[in-house]
Order: sequence, then structure tokens, then C-alpha cells
Amino acid sequence: MAKNLLNRVLSRFVEIKPGEEVIASLLFLYLFLIMFPYYIIKPYRDAKYLIELTSARLPYAYLLTALFMGFFVHFYTKLQVRIQRRVLIISSVTFFALTCLLSRWLFNLDLSWMPLAFWVWANTFVVVLITQFWILVNDIFNPREVKRLIGFFGSGGLFGGILGGLLTGLLGRDMPDIVLIIASGLLVLSIFVVNHIFIWQRKKSPPDDKVDHKHRERGAEQVKVGFIDCFNTVRKNYYLKLLAGVVTLTFIVSTFIDWQSKTVIDIKIERMDEKLEFFGFFHAALLVIPFFISIFMSSNILKRYGIRVTLLLFPLVLLLCIFGIGYRPEIFVFALAIKAGDKSLSFSINQYVRELLYIPISPELKYKAKVFIDMFLNRFAKGVGALILLFLVYIFLPPENWQWDWRDKVQLVSIIAVIFIGAWLLLNLKVSKEYTNIVKQKLDVKWDRGDRLVAEKMDVDYTKLVFDTIESRERSSVLYAMHLYDLIKQDKLTPEVRKLISYKADERRVASLGGLFESGETTLIPETDDMLGEEVLEKEVQEIMSLDVYQEVMKGYIDKVLVDKTNETKTSKMEVAKAIGLMESDSPLAQKLEELLEDESPEVSKYAIESAARLKRRELVPGLIYKLDNPLTREDASAALEKYGERIVGTLSDYLGDYDEDVGLRKEVASVLARIPIQDSADLLAWELAEENEDMDNELIDALDRIRSGQPDIQVQAEIIKTKIFKEIKRYYQILINSYETKSEVKRPEMSGKLSEDLAASMMNIFKLLGLIYPHEDIFRAYQNIRTATKDSIDYAVELLDNILPKDIRDVIFPLIEDLSLEERVKKCRVLFKAFPKMQ
Amino acid sequence: MEINTREKTDIVIFDIEGEIRRSDVTDFTLHQLVKDQLDAGKRNILLNFQNVDFIDSFGVGEILASYISTHNLGGKLKIAKISKKLYLVFQVTMLTKVLEIFDEEEVALDSFNKDQ
Repeated sequence: MAKNLLNRVLSRFVEIKPGEEVIASLLFLYLFLIMFPYYIIKPYRDAKYLIELTSARLPYAYLLTALFMGFFVHFYTKLQVRIQRRVLIISSVTFFALTCLLSRWLFNLDLSWMPLAFWVWANTFVVVLITQFWILVNDIFNPREVKRLIGFFGSGGLFGGILGGLLTGLLGRDMPDIVLIIASGLLVLSIFVVNHIFIWQRKKSPPDDKVDHKHRERGAEQVKVGFIDCFNTVRKNYYLKLLAGVVTLTFIVSTFIDWQSKTVIDIKIERMDEKLEFFGFFHAALLVIPFFISIFMSSNILKRYGIRVTLLLFPLVLLLCIFGIGYRPEIFVFALAIKAGDKSLSFSINQYVRELLYIPISPELKYKAKVFIDMFLNRFAKGVGALILLFLVYIFLPPENWQWDWRDKVQLVSIIAVIFIGAWLLLNLKVSKEYTNIVKQKLDVKWDRGDRLVAEKMDVDYTKLVFDTIESRERSSVLYAMHLYDLIKQDKLTPEVRKLISYKADERRVASLGGLFESGETTLIPETDDMLGEEVLEKEVQEIMSLDVYQEVMKGYIDKVLVDKTNETKTSKMEVAKAIGLMESDSPLAQKLEELLEDESPEVSKYAIESAARLKRRELVPGLIYKLDNPLTREDASAALEKYGERIVGTLSDYLGDYDEDVGLRKEVASVLARIPIQDSADLLAWELAEENEDMDNELIDALDRIRSGQPDIQVQAEIIKTKIFKEIKRYYQILINSYETKSEVKRPEMSGKLSEDLAASMMNIFKLLGLIYPHEDIFRAYQNIRTATKDSIDYAVELLDNILPKDIRDVIFPLIEDLSLEERVKKCRVLFKAFPKMQ
Repeated sequence: MEINTREKTDIVIFDIEGEIRRSDVTDFTLHQLVKDQLDAGKRNILLNFQNVDFIDSFGVGEILASYISTHNLGGKLKIAKISKKLYLVFQVTMLTKVLEIFDEEEVALDSFNKDQ
């Protein structure tokens, strides 16, 4: 009951699924209890520093923090090797709670170095605790889950930050010293929450996830390594290097912005108590925007625009703000706006996207990368930013030079920031591209296409020839000889084949192929080696067949055979049909194939079809097309037409679009076009698909799918396919809703088999259609994983689709494939079904 | 040629009798029967060749077409109890590179379960 209530409450703010309520609430609370004290500490840090050391010395604080973080991370990585994660997190929180109290006491001693030390301490505090928090989130959820919940967790932190800032703003003027005691107390509370999270992790993992969970924990244990290893992990991985580059640029730009805004604030607000009050309220106000972005917009923005666009949002907003402060540095609002832009988005959208970017990485890599990037590199980047500032402010524009006042410095920093933001935007584009590749690697290919496997692993024509040779031996020595000649001509009469085809038909007791070859049973094969060389034989046969006199004599013989309509001449007709195929294409006897193609015996037709494929005479094409109608000659006719190649695509399209022809025949024509994978075939099939002839849809879609699977460069007209995709999705909705309603009426728990089959077929068509206009291999991979794999694989498949499909398609297809209960799915489909006419 | 169909733990078994030749086909081709099963949602097909003496190139085409149709849907098509003579021809023509062939039906059925 309590859980249901919690679910109902949380569902108002976040798309939460049963079983996620407790852990989501705990993580919300955990981040709340980290950010609340931090936003007490942060204004205190800023005010103390600016009053006692001034904004001019800010670059030193950035630089010292960077240097300290280098040593600290080295120490931290060593520590985590020895300590369990749970103990490490709790110890870290305890350490910061105690040192927070200690700081308050040290400030009372009026030590000159204290503001600088406190600055470094406060930055270490936030880096350590926030990194630990996100590592925990990464361990518990997969990308799809994080995408749904990240806004909720983040809003916990932002809510805490707002309260912390407000509290400091209220108490800052009258009781500044008490705020650090409150911060310390809140940190102690967070220890209990952390403990509960680990208890939940241990107890509440679903049974089928236990192996995975154990693996994750083991992985986490194994990855407890040193700083150098963390650095090398990032250095050796292209994706992590890109990620590190993005973080570096983000923090360099953030340092510039922090310096710019604080320089203006330092000049505009002079007293310590005013500064503390201002920073308290300002930081709280800064977090109100990201709080609302987090809770109401971040998941939607991520879902709607995907990672690529969301990644660009932050730098673009900063670019706009930098133009403002660069244009008029003296306007206070610009200084506030740029800081607000930086903090609002870095605490919401940017933080979430960054966390998402880590998720497809393996736990081992992720842990090392996060330690290096999030704990060290971001502070190191601030150090680099500080060095650049020092160079710009003290060397490039030295303070003793009266011509340069603070405005000029702010403007110069703006120009440099624009250059860095340009590089940052480029890296973001690269990261988002690589992210898709990483997600793709998470998805195994479950099966390869059968036709591709067959084409790669064997020569079907040769196989059939061997079987026909063996079969012909029993029927006719002439046919047998012609098959042998074929094998010689194709240089396929290997010793193994010789032995095989000379093997007695009724022999059943050969133990092995080796035994067969040693049996010496060669009496049935002509000793061609002894009589004629293979090249000589081929030449001799060709010369004989091209003699005019041979053609004339054979014409008489063939006419005689064809006239006889009795079954006795069947073998002779087969011989004739085979022989014509051995002649030159311009032989007058080739005309006789038309009649042989029409022979009622499929065996005669088969030889005629083969010969037609060799001679490739245009007048034989219609006869071959009609042979597609007969299951006994279909495969041979299809293979023969394929051998004609692109020159008959136009003729095939005439049959495909001829509504007077039998639908079955037209379906087979579509299949033949798929065997001639050129742009024209794809265009013709797509046009036919646009004709709204539902009888043909499955075959046309399948044919186009076969073309695209073999030739991904072939383009299929997107407009036609998109319309078809929407129609097929709508059809799927209809089947699903109907089946659900039927089920409800008769109170059956399972849908009927027929409807399930219809749904499966419709889903397959949807994915085949998607593969026609979006990366075929990716779509195929996603489909396989959605159909056969685990929940995590489905989530990664959906994540991949999220990155390659446009929004209008994602919106209608995701309800079909996401992990939803039947009721939820039907509910969503009903809503979308009604909206469909507007969508198209 | 005669084909009888039976089912064991979601695996459809075709017991084929006679020779798979173009001249021996009656009402349905093997490929059509396999497609019917695939349309019905079945994905595991076993061809029992215990009583198949020989096949011609049409038979090869039927087996390969059935294999492709099954495989393209993520299913498996296997062969059991093939004669030694036929197996030798399959080996020489490299059909064994594509098709999974088993001596015994039970072993073939087990192999489907292992694939799951």
C-alpha cells in the first residue's frame, strides 16, 4: 500500500516504474543531503575569499585546487583499493562533516591562509561526494532508466542547493558562523541514507539480476586501481579521450565565466556580510532555474532531442551569455546572467548528459574513467583555465599598465572563451557520434541473414551441378557427359568430385569420405585425362558446336524431339535443353529454348531455364518469369533471371506493376528484383509499395530489406517509406488494442496465438521499413535484441534507436518496444492511435 | 516423396520419406511447409532424413531456401539421420559448412535447447 502511494506521488513528477520508488527516493534524498550543505559552504567560501584575498587572486585558488586534486586523487585511488565502496563513501562523508566543523574553528583564529585552504577543501568536498553519488547511480541503473530518472535525482540535489543557499542568505548577515555547523549536521544525516542505499542494493536486486549484480560488484572490486591506471584507461580509449576533452573544455570555460562574474560582483558588492548574503541568495536563485529544468524539462529535453542536441545546448547558451558580458562588462545583469547560465545548465542538463555518456561503458572502465575525469581532470582543467587567466590578466594585460581596466580584461577573456566554446562544440558532436557506436557495441548480433551466410560459405551453382551430375548418371549417359563437361569447364572436377560422382548409386556402406576415395570405384567416369586435356576438350566441344553443319543437323534432331509430345522423349528433351546451353548465345538453336521452357515436365523446364540463364537472350525472359509461378521451377527461374542482371529490371517492373497478372507471380517478381540489388530495383519496389496494394506489402518490404541488407548505400525513397512506417505502426496499434479488448471480454490472461503472430509480423515489417531509410545494420541489431534479449539489451536497443531515429518516429514506436506492462502499452497506443491522423 | 510433421518441445520435425526430387513433388514443396510453420510462429525446424535416399538439385534448393527463410527470422533449421552417401555429397559440396547435421534425432533436439 505504502509503495503504491509512493509510486502515485512520485509518478506525478517522474516516469517511475514499480520497484523503483524506494531506491529513487533514497538517491533523491542522498543528493539533497550533499547539495544542501555544499550550498551553505559555497557562499561562505566565495565571500571569505573575495573579502580577504580579492577576485584578483582567484586564479591562484583555481590553480591550487587543480594541483591539490592531482595529489588527492592519487591518494584517493590508493585508498579505494583497500576500502569497500560502502565504507569509502561513509568515511568520506564523515571526514567532510568533521572537517567542516574544524574549518569553523580555524576561521575564528583569523589565519591568513584559511580562505585559500577552505576554497580547496570545499572543491574537494563537492568533487568527491558528487563523483561517488554518480558512480552509485551508474551501478544501479542502465541508460534508459537513468534517462527517465536523472531529472528526479538531480532535482533532489538542486532542491537541497536552493535550501542551502536560502538558509545562508538568511543567516549570513546576522549569524554567519552558525552555517558551517548546520552543514556538518546535514552531512551526518546523509550517512544514514547512504547506508540504506547499500542495504537496498543488497536485498532488493531482482532474482534474475543477481548474477549481473554480483558481476557489477565484483567488477567494482576489481577496478580498484591506482591513479596511473585510471589515467592510462582514459588515454587508451578513444571515447574516453573525447569525454575527457569535453570535460576539460567545459571546466576551462567555466573558470573563465566564474572569474568574469566574480570580478564584476567583487567590484559591485564590497562588504563581507553583504557578500555572504548576496552569494547565499544568488546561489539559491541560481539553482531554482536548474531545479525546474531538472524536474520538469531535462528528461523531456533528453527524450525529445536526444543526446546530440542536448549536448550542444549548454555551450550555445554560454556563447550567447559571453557575447553579452563581452559587449558590456559593466552591466551587472550580464555578470549574473552568465553565471546563472553556467550554473543552471551545468547542474542540470549538462550534468545529466555527461552521466548518460558514461553509462554504456563497461563498469570497469567507467569506474576508472570517472575517478580520473570527474575527480581529477575537471579540477585540472580549472587549473589550466587559471593559468590562461593568469597569463591574460597579469602577463598579456599587466595590471601596472594604466590603459587596461577590469572591463578590458573581462572582454579579452570573453574572446578567448569563444574560441574554447567553438572547440567544445566540435568535441561534443564527436562524442555524441561515438556514444552511438558504444551503445551499438553493447548489442550482440543474434543472427546473421541466412542468404548472406549461404552466399559466403558455399557456391550454390556448383553444389547443384554436383547433385545434377550424380542424378544424371542414372538417367542418361549423354546428360552425364554434359554435366562432366560443365564441371571441367568450370574447373570444378576436382579429385574429390571425381571420386564422388563415380561412386555407385546403391552403395550405402562407405564409412568415410576417405574410405570412399580409397575404394577405387572409378569405372563410371570417363578417363578424360587419358583421352584429352581439359582445355583441349573444352575447345573441341566449342568448335564442334559452332560448326554450321552441326547446327543444321541438330536442328533436325531437336525439331523431331520437340514434335513428339509423349513422355518417352523427356530425357531427350532434357539433353537438348542442356546442350543448347553449351552453345554460343547467337546460335539459331537457342530459339528452341522458348518451347522447351514451356514443356510440361519441370525437369525439362529446369534444363531449359539453366540454358536460358547461360545464353541470356532477351526473348526468353517472359518465359522465365512465368516459370516463377511454379514451385518446382521457381528457384531455378529466379536464379536464371538474377543472372540476366540489371538489363531486365525494366521488364521485371512491367510485371510487378501489372495488376492483371497473378499476385503470386508479382510477389515472385519482387523477390527476383531483390536478387538484383541496384538503385533501379529499389526505386521500382518502393514505387510499387506506394501503390497501397496491401496484398503485396510483405513481399515488397522483404525485397527492399534484402537489397538494403546487402547494399546499404542504396537509398530508398524516404517519403514513401515513412508513410508506410506510420501505417504499419498504426496497424500494430490496432491489432494490439483489438487483442487486448478481446482478451478483456473473455477474461483470458494471454493473447491468442494468431494475434501474437500478427503482432510479431507487423513488428518485423516496421523494423524492415526502418532499416530502409535509417542505418540498416543498426536497426537490424536493435530488432534482434528487442526480440530475443534481456531487459538490459532491450534498453540498449531502445537507446540506440533513440540516437538514430527522428522524434516523430520515436514517439510512435517507443511505446511498442519499451519495457511496459500490457495495460500501459495499450493505454499509450490508444492515445497515439487517436492522434495518428494529425501525425501523418 | 512424403512429408509428415510432428512437434517436440517447440521443435517442428519433418519426417521425409522418399527422394526430394523435382519429379517426386506432389502437393506441397518442403520450403512451403517450412514457411507455413514459420508463419505460425515456429522457429526451430528439424528435417529427419532417415528415409531419404537421395535428393537432386531441386532438393538442395528446397533445403537452402528453407534454411534461409528460417534463419532470416532468427530461427534454426537442422538435419538429422542423413545417409552416409548423402552426407559425403553434402561435404564435397560444402553444404555441411552451412547446415548443421546430426547422426541422431535426440542429439539434434538437444542442440536446439543449447542454442536457446
